[in-house]
Amino acid sequence: MLLALSVLIFLLLRLTPGDPIDAYIDPNIPMSPEQLSELRSQLGLDRPLPVQYLAWLQQAVTGNLGFSIKRQDQPVLDLVLSRIGPTVLLMGSALVIAIIAGIVTGVISAVRRNSPVDLSFSVFALVGISSPAFLSALIGLYVFAVRLGWAPSGGMLTPGAEFSVADLLHHLILPAALLSIAQAALIMRYMRSSLLEVLNQDYVRTARAKGVKEFWVIAKHALRNALLPVVTVIGSTIGLAIGGAIFIESVFNWPGMGLLLVNAVETRDYPVIMGATLIIGACVIVVNLLTDITYAVIDPRIKVG
Amino acid sequence: MKLRMIASALALSAALIGNVTLAPSATQAATLSGGFDVGPGGFQGNFNPLAATAGFTWLSVYFEPLVTYDDKLQKVVGVLADSYEVSPDQMTYTFKLADAKWHDGKPFTAKDAKFTMGLAMDAKSGSVLAARLKAVSSVEAPDDHTLIVKLSAPSASTLDTMTKVMMLPEHALASIPADQLAKNSWWSTSPIGTGPFKFTKYVTDQYVELAANTDYRGGKPALERVINRYFSNPAAAIAALRAGEIQFTYVDSNDVSTFKGDEAFKVIEGDSFVVNYLGFNHESPIWKDPRVRKAVMYAINRDAIIKSLYAGAAKPANCAYVADQLIPQGIDPYAYDPEKAKQLLDEAGWSQINGDKPITLLTYYTTPLATNVLAAVQAMLSQVGINVVPRAVDTPTYNSIVLNPKPDVAQFQLVYAGLQNGPDAGSINVGLNEKQIPPAGPNVVRARMPELNKALDAALAEPDAAKRDGRYQDVCKVMNSDLPWATLWVANRYGVVSSKVKDFIWTPAPGGGPYQAHPEKWSLGE
Repeated sequence: MLLALSVLIFLLLRLTPGDPIDAYIDPNIPMSPEQLSELRSQLGLDRPLPVQYLAWLQQAVTGNLGFSIKRQDQPVLDLVLSRIGPTVLLMGSALVIAIIAGIVTGVISAVRRNSPVDLSFSVFALVGISSPAFLSALIGLYVFAVRLGWAPSGGMLTPGAEFSVADLLHHLILPAALLSIAQAALIMRYMRSSLLEVLNQDYVRTARAKGVKEFWVIAKHALRNALLPVVTVIGSTIGLAIGGAIFIESVFNWPGMGLLLVNAVETRDYPVIMGATLIIGACVIVVNLLTDITYAVIDPRIKVG
Repeated sequence: MKLRMIASALALSAALIGNVTLAPSATQAATLSGGFDVGPGGFQGNFNPLAATAGFTWLSVYFEPLVTYDDKLQKVVGVLADSYEVSPDQMTYTFKLADAKWHDGKPFTAKDAKFTMGLAMDAKSGSVLAARLKAVSSVEAPDDHTLIVKLSAPSASTLDTMTKVMMLPEHALASIPADQLAKNSWWSTSPIGTGPFKFTKYVTDQYVELAANTDYRGGKPALERVINRYFSNPAAAIAALRAGEIQFTYVDSNDVSTFKGDEAFKVIEGDSFVVNYLGFNHESPIWKDPRVRKAVMYAINRDAIIKSLYAGAAKPANCAYVADQLIPQGIDPYAYDPEKAKQLLDEAGWSQINGDKPITLLTYYTTPLATNVLAAVQAMLSQVGINVVPRAVDTPTYNSIVLNPKPDVAQFQLVYAGLQNGPDAGSINVGLNEKQIPPAGPNVVRARMPELNKALDAALAEPDAAKRDGRYQDVCKVMNSDLPWATLWVANRYGVVSSKVKDFIWTPAPGGGPYQAHPEKWSLGE
């Protein structure tokens, strides 16, 4: 799978107009043809495509993803690995916020079906799903960072200050909350409809008939079964979150994979794009695997091997 | 019960946020933070002056060249050179070097200067200046305080190029082979220069921090630290400026109005030294008739665009220049006259040449301002019967199309672009001289105008500085009558600085300068 992904990315990159040298040239400053061809041959861009790919692959299987073209002094692997932490932190926090907010509001909406509370949550969810990440990021930035001054406008730590967890959280909260909006909205909608469906099942009626308190009916009998489709959705929103993280990271200058990837695409930094997409691809595969495993834990009907 | 819980959670988080905001501000008393690499003059993530096509505003806070421009970008003055002399034949440049020390305490000598020149002239080091230093035939260091640069032919742009050669320490770099230099981590971990601040750390893609060089020969800097924050776009930098996290950034001209009249900020306005133009692709047959090119000039109401989109902060250009001393008497001002444009198109037989077929107008400008400008240009040209369709792409895509040695003319019959026209007036040569047609250079419009070549060559080779302006006037005259481009305007660019910052010098120089910014004098008041 990763091999296919790497071939695809490699080809797509070479089909994109402009190469790293084109990105480097300032129209104001002339560079001689010899100089340009020397730069291209230093980077191996003058060799035939299959040769370039195989050379890359040969290195990649040994764990060497080459050097960044724009930051010539930095190996791609170090660059990408140093970005995983911040991205996992951002996406993980967003996921936790989204799961808590989505499930709580979804349950409330289902239980208080058609009440004003349900209606307002549903409207929020609709807006949340329909707002693209870059829009909510910019609005959030303007309102909470510029107007209200509750959180910093970007970065991961205060420049020049000593590291502290509180400082990190202070920088994290706004981008994580904004990133969680779309996921929370999606989880809320699935939670609501799934719980409503389960609440109409016979065994729920039986539980109620036995005189079980409504809270326990929902918490013990209905919720666990209703969570099944929600877990699948949570797994599938990871892809969405990666897309959103790219926007959030560029707006908030969060030093993660998304920002790295955007900068790399802008400068056609081939090795970095290849390395970053490969690692992201691997992460998505792992997350899907984890989703499947979680599924087996929650649903007793599914048994692993 | 529920409400109480929510209230206490809110109170807790408010307390947390409150605490955190107070903590760092106390440590930042003498720290100036800015977006020094935001905007067209910046080059975030580049630490190597040899590879710098921009970003000199920041690099020159810790590195120094021998000579630089003054803060008005009008004349070249000494920095690490106390003085310099140019021989009457314009072939020998003698620099008398100052008593300076590297940040590690070792003395700066002419040997370092010679070493740096060697790297700058060697394309293997990744130097982007190598082509511009081609005319240099020898560099000598007869003693510790003298550097002699000899040319094989006079080149009026030598001093301009010298301003971009940041001096590098031989003792730290000599052991690294030239072709490995760009890959070395020295640049972003432990570079040393001679400037008023010294490098302390770089946090990847977040910021660069410099600390005061207390031994600076120009006096101890007033600030303790200078921080260069990275932003992925000017809007994010403006948010940080408004939130008080940084004290300075470049600002796009359409955002400037929100800062004017605000006492907390000072708006710095300056000449961009970039002339914007519509470049006719001379390999496309549709522009062959000069009457068609003139019609484009008459059809665009530049005054209206300048007034409504640039808020008046641009000067219409009738050749590549707008500076008074470079404009000859009696050139055509091409005042807006759509009727005359239509008449010229009729005479040329435009309906046979192209008619209303769409003409691709390619640009690498993707700002909201540029989008509006092109919409206006499109509307104005369509009124006289020229149907242009703007297409904005990113810089690498643009370069790959226009610099292609075998270009697809249909992809860029017209370009909307900019070219540096100063402080060295010779800068425009690369965009117009026939010798610079790709792949040799960036004459992307493929102008082949013998008279223009002659005028440009004569101006570049003029040894007498007093006569040089006159030579560039000749260039202007040819451009004005032959129209290799439809020149539009030279716009101003802006920076915004907090009113708390004192003695701050900044100007929107092309590529970020360098120029005399005197960072050692910058200070923060209350």
